[in-house]
Amino acid sequence: MTVMNPQVAHIAVTKRFPEFTLDCDVTFEAGATAVFGPSGSGKTTLLNCVAGLTRPDSGRITVMGTTIFSASERRAVPPEKRRFGYVFQSSALFPNMNVRKNVLYGYALTPVEQRNTDPEHLFELFDLTPLLDRSVDTLSGGERQRVALARALATSPRLLLLDEPLASLDVSFKGAIIRYLKRVRQELGTPMIYVSHSVSEVVALAEEMLVLSDGKPVAQGPPSEVLVRPDVGTMADYGALENLLDATVVERRSEQGLSVIDVGGVELSAPEIDAGPGDLLTVSVRAGDIILTLDVPTRISAQNILPGRIEAIHSQGPRVIAHVDVGVVLVVELTPRAVADLGLRVGAQVYLIVKSNSVLALDAIDSE
Amino acid sequence: MTWTLLELTFRVAIVATLINIPLALGVSWLLVKTRVPGRIVIDALVSLPLAVPPIAIGFFLLLLLGREGPIGGLTKALLGADIVFTWIAAVAASAVVSFPLMARATMVAMAGVDQRLEMSARSLGAGPWRVFFTITVPLAMKGIFAGVLLGFVRAISEFGATITVAGNIAGKTQTLPLALYSAVILRDDSTALLLTAVAITIAVATLLVHNWLLARTPRPEVS
Repeated sequence: MTVMNPQVAHIAVTKRFPEFTLDCDVTFEAGATAVFGPSGSGKTTLLNCVAGLTRPDSGRITVMGTTIFSASERRAVPPEKRRFGYVFQSSALFPNMNVRKNVLYGYALTPVEQRNTDPEHLFELFDLTPLLDRSVDTLSGGERQRVALARALATSPRLLLLDEPLASLDVSFKGAIIRYLKRVRQELGTPMIYVSHSVSEVVALAEEMLVLSDGKPVAQGPPSEVLVRPDVGTMADYGALENLLDATVVERRSEQGLSVIDVGGVELSAPEIDAGPGDLLTVSVRAGDIILTLDVPTRISAQNILPGRIEAIHSQGPRVIAHVDVGVVLVVELTPRAVADLGLRVGAQVYLIVKSNSVLALDAIDSE
Repeated sequence: MTWTLLELTFRVAIVATLINIPLALGVSWLLVKTRVPGRIVIDALVSLPLAVPPIAIGFFLLLLLGREGPIGGLTKALLGADIVFTWIAAVAASAVVSFPLMARATMVAMAGVDQRLEMSARSLGAGPWRVFFTITVPLAMKGIFAGVLLGFVRAISEFGATITVAGNIAGKTQTLPLALYSAVILRDDSTALLLTAVAITIAVATLLVHNWLLARTPRPEVS
């Protein structure tokens, strides 16, 4: 057993199923790693092997210096001793308990000396205080996932495992959950492995991504490098590629029917949002709704004109995706013809035009 | 009909049911929630008492519990007491015959508990026992209770195995079905009718509660 290993996890396992075989040897080093791939590629199996809910046929799993599975030593730490939080797509809240009891279930089982958070803090972090005595059957999808996250974090996990936690949610709840996940990383510093098949989510959350295809790793690295690979691109669902961005409300101009928000130092005008200055929210801008020009546009109706630089550019079937740094990196969808006509290449100085109406606030909940 | 008859009938059925509850829970857990080797064999054994003639079960129990048998011999040697032809033997007969019904219903109830809830509980730090008693059993409770009632009505109606291993001794091992049998043989039609009415009343009341419970089984979690 190697102690003091800086890596988050080393996973070298095989698991045979009638329909496919998971066979991978990967190391995760980032605070937030996305496991990405089409359905049936083995993402959830990999996560379940780490959680101890699926037993690999062979191999070894080491998480933060502790070997939790080793086929050769016939060693498998049972899931309840691994101290990993697991959040299912379906929330898997206990229907025989209210919200408070769900969150306290694992907390009560965590030895006092291992606790690094208290329930009150989690109730606050996930805005659960008004829901505590509710039956879990009465919660919305977004509320259920907040309870599931708080319940997992209440055990002071060393690692958070998330299996498509946003997949079953309405679009309006996704932004809030993404912001909660970012809060977890900032305030609790819990590393996470995040299974997803959405490019937008991966771009918004992950520092590093692993791409699985048919049970095997095909690419690994920062999303901006991995997503540009043509073989990865064919697997990715770019159908609704959107930029999911953290924003702070700067000003609300009711008379003009708009709000000004700050996204990583860039001010954007958006349709009026029911929130006051300083409130945090998540916004979505679809990659196909952004227009790219080489010259400063003048006499134009759009409110948001952002100067930037092309960081990466790659073909995606009939489309081209450009990553443009305007202070934050935005993904922009173009046609190959536009790329040829404009002579676009990495490093080019460009302007992005974003209509106010294409800036969509995702938060359905109030910020207290 | 005397109160002794009713008291004995209920005593035998209730004790048999109480013995079966932990066994049914254990077997259901083994078959539904684990991948124990030889599941097919255990599964078949659970249903076996449903499939063989009750007299055969009575005969088998006679061999087991008789003075020459392994269990009967042991109690005779240790306690100086016989089991065969006592109410304890009637309990054994009722328990064996009613077990499959209770176990089947318990298995169905446990299979209905979403495995992801149990996996969640494991990841939250609960060992297999705690998961079983705080998640599986509470969520399967209505189905388990319905199975207990089903086992109870079967136990209270038990005849063939009981008469073989416990005999038909009034005031000692004679339960309601055995008294009914005696009344029919003796052509005591008024007693037979009365006992039949009592048996039907008990069965209908129990089955009504059973059906009410199953109709109110909580809907599965929406994912």
